[in-house]
Amino acid sequence: MFTGIDIGGTNTDVAVIDSQISTYKVPNGEGLDHALMKTSKTGRLAVSTSQPLNEIITGPPVDIHTITIPGPGLVYAGAVKGAVSHRGDIVEPINPDEIYQLMRGQHARAIAIAGKFSVRNDIQEKQVYDIVSQFYSDEQIAISSPLGGLNFPARIHTTRYNARIKGKVSSLIKQIKKVNPDFYFVTSTGGLISSDRALENPMLLFHSSPATVATGAYYLSKIDDCLVVDIGGTTTELVPVQAGKPIFETVILDGSKTMIQAVSATSIPYGGDSCIRDGLCSFRVGCSRAFGGGEPTLTDALNVLGARIGQATRSDVLDRMTAQHVVQQYVDAVSHAIEKYHPSVLVGTGYLAHYLLSDLAERIKTTGVVPEHAASANAVGAAVSKLSLEVHVHVDTERKRLTLNGMAYPYKDMQDEEHLLTYVTELVRDIARRERAPEEDIEDVQIRLFSSYDVVRGWRVTAKITDMVLAIAPGISVEAL
Amino acid sequence: MTCGIVYAPSYLTHEQSSSHPERRERLSYTLDQLVEEGIFDLPQIKLLTPKPATRDDVLLVHTPAYLKFLEEASIHGGIIDADTYVPKGLIHDALLAVGGAITAADAVLNQEVKNSFVLARPPGHHAGRSQGAGFCYLNNVAIMVRHLQRRGLRRIMILDWDAHHGNGTEEIFYDDPSVLFCSVHQYPFYPGSGRYEDIGVGEGKGYNINLPIPAGSSDNVYRYLLEEIIIPLADEYMPDAIAISAGQDNHFTDPLTGLALTARGYAGLMQEMCILADSICYGRIIAVLEGGYSVEGGLPYTNLGLIAAMAGLDLSAIREPDIYRDTLQKAVSDDAFPKVIAMVSELKKKLVEHWYFIRRYDFG
Repeated sequence: MFTGIDIGGTNTDVAVIDSQISTYKVPNGEGLDHALMKTSKTGRLAVSTSQPLNEIITGPPVDIHTITIPGPGLVYAGAVKGAVSHRGDIVEPINPDEIYQLMRGQHARAIAIAGKFSVRNDIQEKQVYDIVSQFYSDEQIAISSPLGGLNFPARIHTTRYNARIKGKVSSLIKQIKKVNPDFYFVTSTGGLISSDRALENPMLLFHSSPATVATGAYYLSKIDDCLVVDIGGTTTELVPVQAGKPIFETVILDGSKTMIQAVSATSIPYGGDSCIRDGLCSFRVGCSRAFGGGEPTLTDALNVLGARIGQATRSDVLDRMTAQHVVQQYVDAVSHAIEKYHPSVLVGTGYLAHYLLSDLAERIKTTGVVPEHAASANAVGAAVSKLSLEVHVHVDTERKRLTLNGMAYPYKDMQDEEHLLTYVTELVRDIARRERAPEEDIEDVQIRLFSSYDVVRGWRVTAKITDMVLAIAPGISVEAL
Repeated sequence: MTCGIVYAPSYLTHEQSSSHPERRERLSYTLDQLVEEGIFDLPQIKLLTPKPATRDDVLLVHTPAYLKFLEEASIHGGIIDADTYVPKGLIHDALLAVGGAITAADAVLNQEVKNSFVLARPPGHHAGRSQGAGFCYLNNVAIMVRHLQRRGLRRIMILDWDAHHGNGTEEIFYDDPSVLFCSVHQYPFYPGSGRYEDIGVGEGKGYNINLPIPAGSSDNVYRYLLEEIIIPLADEYMPDAIAISAGQDNHFTDPLTGLALTARGYAGLMQEMCILADSICYGRIIAVLEGGYSVEGGLPYTNLGLIAAMAGLDLSAIREPDIYRDTLQKAVSDDAFPKVIAMVSELKKKLVEHWYFIRRYDFG
């Protein structure tokens, strides 16, 4: 049995998939615990939490103190002594007194720690972490090495966000673990991760909704190439799907690159709860009148035009002319954005898809499909996803060093690249196995990068250095097919 | 200011043999450093993709017979000298290195970028008109300079600060006053040429400046040469662009040479050249990688320092890790500076009739 939960802006969607699919919508006002009660105690639970995290990430700035260990190179704020080389050697030690001094009288809400080349050797980050943890709790400290890839400024930026949301993620974990101790989170690429891995890099949970929608829409419609139009309470999201998979792009926040990949989507600030004042507004004030709110919204306009959503009679404060005008305004705005994708098929999801998708499809003269359970396609997507993993591997035969995302693993001398690849692939599978992924889902380990060169000293090849990026790609779990 | 970096993964493919010092590993750590510093995400940096040079480009400098030799040797492999083999398929890599320099020059002339740095391999400054040598096949900088002139620039200054004398480039422009060639190099050393007495011939007399310096020369020597010779030369010559043969084997950790420049020294040198170029030629600098064999302790820090200087970034943390401090102390020689002062005074005597900035203070 698979259960998926997606916490949206208005409702929390729950999908339970057994021999059949059952979906529920729980208003956010009733709290996450209420939604968790709908889930099954047995089987797998996957939770997509992008909404509460997005609120923190896009909300007012929080005082985060950043400690950087840059060593030689460009200039970075918050620098302390210490340096790791490109090969992962400690070339300058940290000065513990400097860190103690920084921490005394420190009033920041959370601490971000990032060392240059920490993804080749995470020891110095951990040394600083040990000192900082004498002043702050684990939930207030984030380090950069689990992010895996090279790009120090992007790791600093991401680690700052991780420090900011780690506390929230940790409290969500405690809350959900009461119901299902072995649950998974859904990431921004639509893969599942264990709660332990989520705590190492909480930003992986950012913006997971478009990913769940894309997976859910494909699972329910089985249409390989389409544009998913997800009409929610707060926004309408357009998510292109090619060959059954969404498109990924690097997340940019505050104008700077992060280490996070997310599903490419266009967000239009109109949804079922968008207010109607002088026309349709790009914001919401609580719920629709049909769901007990005070101001008329797009949902109420649809009710006036004949839909029966919620308490439809409460929508009657709107006249028919205004309602028609507002729906028209919505269709204009969204179809304009859809046209840029030149889609061959539109797949509608979200609770208003049944009412609005045909108008949108007609406007841009294409086919529109609203599959069964489309209203909770996001939760369905979360339920059927499989575990995913991306690991940056660095192997140095001279130093006898093997690191996976900065963490040292047992090194073994290998005859050739093929043996090395087999060994490392099995290490990656082991990580997935520890997170209870079924064997069928981890059979295919993708090689996203393989780069290897000889170390030459004194006209002699003395060692070999190999960099790899291996991944178990997100997708639909074999067990759910 | 925008600095263009010309680089393509193909610049890693050229290898004469698996253990040759001019090898792929030379750029690997540099790239790690640049990627880790997020260089390619900075608004001050633009990554440029090299286009291969054409035969016509090569023939601006090299003889048809030599080009034909390289093309033929690239089919089955060949040999130029004890250090310079022609591996199979070389001509593609060599043309891409030349093409990188031309791509950089075009980007500067078209004002896409203010200056640019070419991270190309194989290097080129030992290659003369009709022969390769010292790990070099085609003279990337010389061909690029002729390309600039083909596009309408009249005078170009070449500063070659590789630890080895740029004998190939010297040979190509020895009689040509439209190219001011200035080489700072360890002497006596490979390839043996580069005496300060060699100042050019015919119309090119006075336009070939060699600054031979002894082993152990460090940052202060380079700064002295910059202030005493290189900057006044450029101010008087007023070039339309400056090409730099940016060899990085004068770093104090380099295993093949005996000079003692630091990463900060390199960055400072480039910063001065950028200020100079701003004042005389709209900031046009095209720097092309030549040698440099200290792959771990040198190249990542010197390459980053040069790029940071060209992009106008803060240079205050450009340095080597502390573990190399003893190596630096051993590499620097106190005897070097006085010898260089003596050399400069002799050089000035040779050049006095060609350059006003020397005559100006010559009251005798």
